[in-house]
Amino acid sequence: MIRKLLAFHFWLVVLFLLAPLIFLIPISLGESQFLEFPPKQLSLRWYREFFQQESWMEALSLSFRVGLGATALSVIIGTLASVALVRGNFPGRSILTALFIAPLIVPTVVLALGLYMVFLRWQLVDNTLALTLAHAVVALPYSILLVSSSLRSFDMTIERAARTMGAGPFKAFMLITTPHLAPSIFAASVLSFFASFDELIITLFVSGGQQTLPVRIWNDLSLKIDPTVPAAAVMLTAVSALLMLAGEMVRRRNEAHNQNSHNAEE
Amino acid sequence: MKAKQNWRLMALLLPAIALICVLFLNPLVGVLIQSFVGDDGFTLKSISKLWTSRLARVVLERTFWLAFTVTVICLLVGYPAAYYMSQLRPRKRAMITYLVLLPFWISILIRTYTWIILLGREGLVNNALQWLGLTEQPVQFLYTNFAVHLGMVQILLPIVILPTVAGMVNIDGGLIKAARVMGASPIRAFWSVFFPLSLSGAATGGLICFILSLGFYVTPTLLGGQKSLIIANLIDLQVHKTLNWGFAAALATALLLATLLCLLIFWLATRNRPEFATGGLSR
Repeated sequence: MIRKLLAFHFWLVVLFLLAPLIFLIPISLGESQFLEFPPKQLSLRWYREFFQQESWMEALSLSFRVGLGATALSVIIGTLASVALVRGNFPGRSILTALFIAPLIVPTVVLALGLYMVFLRWQLVDNTLALTLAHAVVALPYSILLVSSSLRSFDMTIERAARTMGAGPFKAFMLITTPHLAPSIFAASVLSFFASFDELIITLFVSGGQQTLPVRIWNDLSLKIDPTVPAAAVMLTAVSALLMLAGEMVRRRNEAHNQNSHNAEE
Repeated sequence: MKAKQNWRLMALLLPAIALICVLFLNPLVGVLIQSFVGDDGFTLKSISKLWTSRLARVVLERTFWLAFTVTVICLLVGYPAAYYMSQLRPRKRAMITYLVLLPFWISILIRTYTWIILLGREGLVNNALQWLGLTEQPVQFLYTNFAVHLGMVQILLPIVILPTVAGMVNIDGGLIKAARVMGASPIRAFWSVFFPLSLSGAATGGLICFILSLGFYVTPTLLGGQKSLIIANLIDLQVHKTLNWGFAAALATALLLATLLCLLIFWLATRNRPEFATGGLSR
């Protein structure tokens, strides 16, 4: 009895969590100017509209440029730092780790205000590169968390074996350790990209007139209800869900691969 | 040799340290300084406004109260759901975890936007209520506290559920069996053995939820309207409308200190308790 109640409660919670998705897809497929649920007539009109309006396309392109840049920065900088944090033996390691992860927990508005003041002083407001760097700060914690945990589980003797066979430290790392890290680096890229792609508050403060996709949606909301927004939202969600799925498949394959090589050894 | 290698390794940290110093610590320190600087040097004018200005007091109180109520609701709703998940077989639990995680991948902005459509005067909820004959007039859901809570709980619930499940899974099932063997009823075994042991995970989830709620911006702004101005909105207003940088910085400082204080209290309360060592996030 209690078990049934618990199950019922749980599925209600899941329904509640998925509610936006459940309603947004039919709403986005409506035909009318006004958002309605259920839609009277199904059409892809607003999806077409999204790709035909220049302002949406510009926002999409800016979001992609900033997102890819921030992802590259976060993953490269984060992987390098993780190697030092996991393998190095120096004081202050845990403080540094906490510092690199801190952007996850510090309220974004506070950071946005601070960045805005810094960017005003250095005349970097409205600068795409500066925006990308700011996004990299928000994305960095994901790379640090994922790559260092994967590095910690790596068996150093294999890399040492490569070193004794005559490989230089860089070659040994690239040939032996990087393949082991690949899934976590991929997952870090996905999360970093999503963190940047979804970032709104910092961008609102420092981007000046430039609009990323979330800023474009935000600006729309305060003016009128634009029926293109649900279509844009559904596509955004589809892209992130696909990325997540890809990350999961890479992880699974790698796990299976590790399992096999273990079995082969035995 | 060893020392040299350490130096080489530390060089790998330089890009990350540079990024964090210039674009994270530097802005935060800038905010702290700004809240103590006036037209003619050092001043306590901005900071003292936090307790002298009625607006600031009301907004601060409202923000903390909102974060508190959202956290309590998340814990009350999330705990039984987490318990259900913890009792499943690992394989099924892993699959179901995906369902709970899925909303993470929908932008917060978009999740909030959906509530605007659903809760509006002509929205699905109002239409359904009228169709059922429960109300004559559309009910005002949007721009109320109810809407803000609904939106925030929807976003923060997974953040409470997942650490709670992790904490529950770590509980040694043998302990509950032992309690049963000793004659405890299932309910007694739950309340005196399982529940206390599950608190570490739930507390971790609740703490993260509370800290994130304090800084929430998008959802309260879109669903709350004028009457539920919170700290983040007030900071935004001071910067973009009244151009009062000192006051904006003072508010941001208060928010930052509140966050750090929460972490400090949590750390002090848990540092001697080994079950918290992993923060309930170990698995």
